[in-house]
Amino acid sequence: MIKLLIEKELKNILLSPKFAATFLVCSILILTSVYIGVQEYHTAVAQYEANQQIATQDIAQATNWGSVRNQVHRKPNPMQVFVSGLHFDVGRVSRISGFQDVKLTRSPYSDETLFALFRFIDLTFIVQVVLSLFAILFTYDAINGERENGTLKLAFANSVSRASYLISKFAGVWIGLIIPLLILILIALLITTLMGVPISGGDWVSISSFIGLSVLYVTFFIGIGLLVSTITRKSSLSFLLLLVIWIGGVLILPRMSVMASGQLVEVESIAQIEAKQEAYQKARWDEYSSTISETWRKRSQEMEGMDDAERQAYRDEKEWDWLEEDDAARKQVQQDITENNRRLIEETSNQKKLQERVAFSLARISPASSFRLAAMNIAGTDIDMKSRYEDSMREYRDKFTDFTQKKQSESGSRGGFSINVDSESGVKIDFGRDDQTLDTSEMPQYSAPVLSTSNALSKSILDFGLLGIFIILTFGGAFISFLRYDMR
Amino acid sequence: METANETIKQAPLLEARNLTKVYEDGVKALDNLNIKVMPGEIYAMLGGNGAGKTTTINIFLDFIQPTNGNAFINGIDSNSDPLEAKKNVAFVSENVQLYPNFTAMQNIDFFVRLGGKSNYKRSDYENALNRVGLQSEAFDKKLRDFSKGMRQKCGIAIAILKNAPAILLDEPTSGLDPKAGKEFTKLIGELRDEGKAILMSTHDIFRAKEISDHVGILNNGELVAQRTNAELKGVNLEQLYVEYMAGYMEETDQNLVLTNDLN
Ligand SMILES: Nc1ncnc2c1ncn2[C@@H]1O[C@H](COP(=O)(O)OP(=O)(O)OP(=O)(O)O)[C@@H](O)[C@H]1O
Ligand SMILES: [Mg+2]
Repeated sequence: MIKLLIEKELKNILLSPKFAATFLVCSILILTSVYIGVQEYHTAVAQYEANQQIATQDIAQATNWGSVRNQVHRKPNPMQVFVSGLHFDVGRVSRISGFQDVKLTRSPYSDETLFALFRFIDLTFIVQVVLSLFAILFTYDAINGERENGTLKLAFANSVSRASYLISKFAGVWIGLIIPLLILILIALLITTLMGVPISGGDWVSISSFIGLSVLYVTFFIGIGLLVSTITRKSSLSFLLLLVIWIGGVLILPRMSVMASGQLVEVESIAQIEAKQEAYQKARWDEYSSTISETWRKRSQEMEGMDDAERQAYRDEKEWDWLEEDDAARKQVQQDITENNRRLIEETSNQKKLQERVAFSLARISPASSFRLAAMNIAGTDIDMKSRYEDSMREYRDKFTDFTQKKQSESGSRGGFSINVDSESGVKIDFGRDDQTLDTSEMPQYSAPVLSTSNALSKSILDFGLLGIFIILTFGGAFISFLRYDMR
Repeated sequence: METANETIKQAPLLEARNLTKVYEDGVKALDNLNIKVMPGEIYAMLGGNGAGKTTTINIFLDFIQPTNGNAFINGIDSNSDPLEAKKNVAFVSENVQLYPNFTAMQNIDFFVRLGGKSNYKRSDYENALNRVGLQSEAFDKKLRDFSKGMRQKCGIAIAILKNAPAILLDEPTSGLDPKAGKEFTKLIGELRDEGKAILMSTHDIFRAKEISDHVGILNNGELVAQRTNAELKGVNLEQLYVEYMAGYMEETDQNLVLTNDLN
C-alpha cells in the first residue's frame, strides 16, 4: 500500500512539467555556481601563491632583519566553493610587524568591487533560497490540492489509512526532490575534483555533513508545506501562506534578528572607544599634574623657614625619594591608562560577542539561519574565521618578532645603523648592510589555522538539532491535522 | 432474474440505520434515514438538490461522521471500522477526477491497486474500459485532456475492476452522453445480475424507474417515499416525485415504506 502510494507520488512529480522546469533551473544554478566557485578558488590560490612568493622574495632582498617587511596571507579553502560564507568579505592579507597590530585587509570584494555588486551565488545560497522555494512549490497543494481535484475522495473510497497516505505523500515528495538534488550535488562534486580542487579527507567529512544539512533543511520545507496544505482547504490560500512564511523565514528573520540584537545590545564603535580612552588618559594626566604640583607645593612648604644651606641639605637628602615617588606616581598613571584601555577593548569585545549571540539566537527561530550558520561553521567560512586567522597571525607575529630580534642581536645590528668609534679606523658608521641577502631558512613560517573537522561539526550540532526539531514539529503537526482532515 | 433474487434471503450489503446528520452549521441534512440494499439489488435515491443524497454516500465512505445512527457495508459499521468496511465497496462520484498528469491506464492502474486488486493485466483494464465505452485512442492519453464524460467512464471502470460486493454511485451518469448513459444503464444491470448491491443517487427519474429494484425519494433529509419496482408498474414516477417533493402525501405512505422490510 505505502509502496504503491509512494510510487504514485513519485510518478506524479516526475511527470509534472513543474518538475522538469525546476530541475532545469536547479541544474543550471548548481552547476554554474560550482564551476564559477572552482574557478574563483583557483584564482585565489594562484594569487595566494604569487603573493607568498613576493613576500619571501621581499624578505630575502631585505638587507637586515630589522627592516624586513613581512606579510602573511589567508589561505584559500576548498570548502569556499560550496559555502563562500565570509570569504569574500574578510581581508586576505595582514602586515606582520612589531609596531602594528595584525589586521586583515583587502578582501576579495574590496579589491574587485564589480563582483561585490552581483555577489557570487554559492551552493548554500541556492539551497537556502531556491531549493526551499521549490520544496514549497511541490508541497503547498499536496493535500488540499488533491481535495480540490477530487482525487483524495477517490483514493479514500478505498481501504487506505490516513497515516500511510500522509507518510507516503511525504516520502514521495522527499524522494522526488532529494534524489535529483543529490545527483546534482554529486555531479557538482565530480566537477570540483576533476577541475583539480584538492579536497582533503576532512573536507569530505565536511562536504558530507553539508549535504546532510541541506537534506535536513529541504526536508523541513517539505514538512512545512505539508503542514500548511493540511491545515487549509484551498491550495491558493496555502500557497500564499507558505510564501509569507518563506519570505519571513528566509529573507526577513535573519536580517531582522541582526538588527534587533543591534538594538538590544549596544556595542560602541571604535571611534567611541578611542574617545573614551583619550578622555580617561587626559583626565588621568591632568589629575597627575595637579597632584604633582600639589606635592611640590607641600615639599616647598616643608622647607619654609630654612636658610639656603639647610634647604640644600634637605633637598639633597630627600631628592632621591622624591624622584622615586614621582616616578612611581607616573608609572601608576601609565599603568592605569593601559589597564583602562585594555578593559574598554575587552568590554567591547564581550558586548560584541553578546550581540552576536543574541543575533544568532533570534535568527535561529528560522531554520534558514540555522542552515546558513551551520553550513559556514562546517566549511570554516564562518564569522569566527577572521578572528581565527588574526589570532594565529598574532601568534606568528610574536614568533617572528622574537626571531628578528634574536637575529639582530646576533649580528649586533640594531636595525638602523650603528656608529663605531675606533682609534685606528676613526669613526665608522655601519648601516648593518651585509652585501649578501638574508638567510630565510630559519625564519618561522606562517601556517593557516586548522579548524579541526570535529570542532567544526560540534559547532554546528545545535543547528542540526534545531532543524531536526523543526522537522518533527512540522511533520507531527501535519500528521495530527491530517487525521481529522475533511476529505470532501 | 428478479425471482432469483427474491428467493434468497440475505443480509443487506448496504444499510443505513436511523441515519441522522446535522452539520456544524445546524443544517439537518439527514433525518433518521433507513435504507437497505440487498445483494443483486439496485436502489435509486431520488431527491432535489440538497436533499441529502451525497451526505448519505459520504457517511457510508466515512468522509463524514453521522450525528446519529449507523451506516453498514456488508455488516461492518463504516464509522467504527472504515478500513474494513471500505474493502467491500466501490465508489463513483458525480464528478470523477483523476490525476491529470497520468494516462487513463496509469490512473486506473493506481486506483485499482489501491482498491486491493494487484493481479490485473493490461488486457483486463482494456476490457473494463471497453465495457464502459471509452474509445481506445484515449487509453494512453493523459487525463488532462479528458472530457467530463470520459473521466466518468474511467471512474466507472475503476469501480468495476475493484469488484467489490457493494457499489455507491453518486449521480454517476452526470456528464455522460445519451449513448453512454444507455450503456451505463445496461452495465449496472449486469453488475446487479452479478450479485452486487448498488446504491445510486440520481436525478434521472426515467432511468431509475427502468433499472432500479427500489426507488427512494428523499426530501430535506427525510425518506418520504419508497417503492419497489413492482409497485411502480404503471405509476407515473415523475408525478409521484413532484408530489413528494412538494411535501404531499407524507402521512399516507407509511405502509408503502414498510413494504421494504418484506423484501
Ligand atoms: N459541509 C457541509 N456543511 C454544512 N452543510 C452542508 C455540508 N455539506 C452539505 N450540506 C448541506 O446538507 C444538505 C444536503 O446536502 P447534500 O450534498 O447531501 O445534497 P444532495 O442530495 O447530494 O444534493 P445534489 O443533488 O445537489 O447533489 C444541503 O442542505 C447542504 O447545504
Ligand atoms: Mg450530491
